[in-house]
Amino acid sequence: MLWLCIQFPRLPLQALTRAQRGGPEDVPRAVVEQQLVVDANRAARARGVHSGLTIATACALCAEIELLPRDTEREARLLQELAQWGYSFTPVVSPRAAGALHTGDGDYACLYLELGGCLKANGGLEPLLQQLRSELRQMHISAFMGLGHSPSAAHMLGQLEEHRQWLAGAKAPPSPQQWRQWISFAPGKLLDCDHKTIAKLYACGIKRVSQLLAIPLSEVGSRFGRDFVDYLARLNGTRHDPVPSYQPPPEFHSELFFPSPLDNSEQLLFPAGRLVRELCQQLQRRQLYSQQLRWKLDFGQQGCKVVSVEISRPLLDAQRLIALTKLQLERIVLEQPVQALELTCDRLQSLGQETVDDDLFGEASRVQRSHQLLDRLRARLGHQALSGVSLKESHLPEQAWQSADSLVLQSRQRGHRVQPVNAARPSWLLPRPDRIQCRQQRLFYRGELRLLQGPERIDGYWWQHRRHARDYYIARGEEGGLYWVYQDLTSEDWYLHGIYA
Amino acid sequence: MSSAENLLQNKQLTDGLKQQRLDQLLARADIWQAANEHRRQRSGITTGYAGLDALLAGGGWPRGATTELLVDQAGIGELGLLLPALAELTRREQMVVLVNPPHIPYAPALASAGVQLEKLLILHPQGPRDSLWAMEQSLQSGCCGALLSWQERQPPADKDLRRLQVAAREGDCLHFHFRPQSCAASPSPASLRLQLASDGDQLALQLLKQLGGRTGQRLHLARAADLTRRDRPLH
Repeated sequence: MLWLCIQFPRLPLQALTRAQRGGPEDVPRAVVEQQLVVDANRAARARGVHSGLTIATACALCAEIELLPRDTEREARLLQELAQWGYSFTPVVSPRAAGALHTGDGDYACLYLELGGCLKANGGLEPLLQQLRSELRQMHISAFMGLGHSPSAAHMLGQLEEHRQWLAGAKAPPSPQQWRQWISFAPGKLLDCDHKTIAKLYACGIKRVSQLLAIPLSEVGSRFGRDFVDYLARLNGTRHDPVPSYQPPPEFHSELFFPSPLDNSEQLLFPAGRLVRELCQQLQRRQLYSQQLRWKLDFGQQGCKVVSVEISRPLLDAQRLIALTKLQLERIVLEQPVQALELTCDRLQSLGQETVDDDLFGEASRVQRSHQLLDRLRARLGHQALSGVSLKESHLPEQAWQSADSLVLQSRQRGHRVQPVNAARPSWLLPRPDRIQCRQQRLFYRGELRLLQGPERIDGYWWQHRRHARDYYIARGEEGGLYWVYQDLTSEDWYLHGIYA
Repeated sequence: MSSAENLLQNKQLTDGLKQQRLDQLLARADIWQAANEHRRQRSGITTGYAGLDALLAGGGWPRGATTELLVDQAGIGELGLLLPALAELTRREQMVVLVNPPHIPYAPALASAGVQLEKLLILHPQGPRDSLWAMEQSLQSGCCGALLSWQERQPPADKDLRRLQVAAREGDCLHFHFRPQSCAASPSPASLRLQLASDGDQLALQLLKQLGGRTGQRLHLARAADLTRRDRPLH
């Protein structure tokens, strides 16, 4: 077993400010909870503001500091996202939330990854660590890592400076002796236990873990309690160290929060692009696809607005997804400034063999292009502007066709095919029959109509209340147009129903 | 290698390059060479009417270009003129897009004309800007076989027509644009302009403009016999 523990020391701040483009590091910012500073950015730290200070002290040190209230819910969500990200490297992932109130050094939120089983798939330890680091940097999340034979050891070693230096250039997992050496060398304050126990250890003159390990376990047990002995055994690797395993939900959810709200829909494109890229990475790693991207623009107190982007075919290309999103976002007029942007995809579906849209050759690419075209049209014009037509089995002319909602682009011969009626039918049908003037046995519709053929009697639904009994004729107008007209047999009125265009 | 040989070779190379450029230029669709008329590629999509094919320069509807159909009156067979070509395109698995059709395209009639209904897309964009955008996107996409559009109330600006023509060329798509006959006098970038009118039982065509071909001819196409037959109805 080889465990990696990634700790996130800046999570409270980064959960709130990650959405912004590089620059705002120069504005001093701090996250506060219960009158105490929990986290501060670089500009604030340069002025002497660090975690644990009271708000009053922080303001005294740096007058123009911007204070953000801590949002533990958002932090928890970000940690879940990170766990999902970690899941794309290894199937054994366990997130651990930060302590309720920031009390000491060892209390950051962290993520445990079991790397022993996935080294080969990721090309060895060094490339894997490099990739983890570079992706964290891309996500604008600062972290430090520790490697150990158990989660507790990895957590502790992550805080040990020597171990971190070794890890920066690590090529292969270390030998058990090396681990034991590091652990025994570590100062006692790095142990993952409460302040009281550590104070007690120092009171006994125990400064290094090696000193502690030299004492017989039964002695330690009588002084520090059973739990502490258990922890030492887990640290040593003599006992199993179970951590709750994480199972990713079959959905994607990510959110970006803007400390200074955006009031222009063009400004949304940059954060939207970042979210889409995260989504695409996730999808590709887990071999899933989504048929719908749901964007939620959060206006804070003023409610929210949901925009959905439909995708007809599995698509893992971030650029195209961004282009589709752009078409939708461009149509929106923002009435209120946006405070947070959220991307949700529920119902992720697994990618079948036949479905990936990246074929190099002829036919497939035409179908693919037509799907892209349909997606683009649907994104800009809306669903209702697109339609198709299909045949339906019915005697009544107006029911012999139906509007097909989703276009079937690959014609598949499936089941029973409806045959069109074998008679001359007009190529235009009027949405509702148009009344024709009838005077002295003569018909007038933009001039006089002369009947050429007929009648073709269509009598339907006589068994129901609304009977449709009609005699259809083909008629010619004065200017040469051919029309499809009928006489309603119950009311004896004449109507125009179609045009032979 | 001596310098004279070298020079000769260079000269041949540049000559070859020039010839290649000239060939590229001459291969353009909008350059008409009277001398090479008989060697011209008959690249059009057949209209399904032999008489009309003979009049058109490409032996059919010009590919990758706008064809304007000037019609004042519905019901004279203006859509029937296009149906054979549309049926052929849909059989080749290409999409046919109708933008702003004036009425409902009636599925039984289209199906019996051989059009594969699965390949038919009907668009009703809101407003002229959206419809121009949709037309341009569809024409450019390269997956549409043909696009039929009907002019809305205000006639499109000349530059829009030009853009559509360019888009059709990029996507190698047939673009049919229906306009009223009052537009006949105004200039248009379309490569083919046909005026359609009714003449008795026949559809009368007049070629107003044709790129790389003669204009001014008239043609009468008979309408389907089962439509125009008179059988003295009872009424």
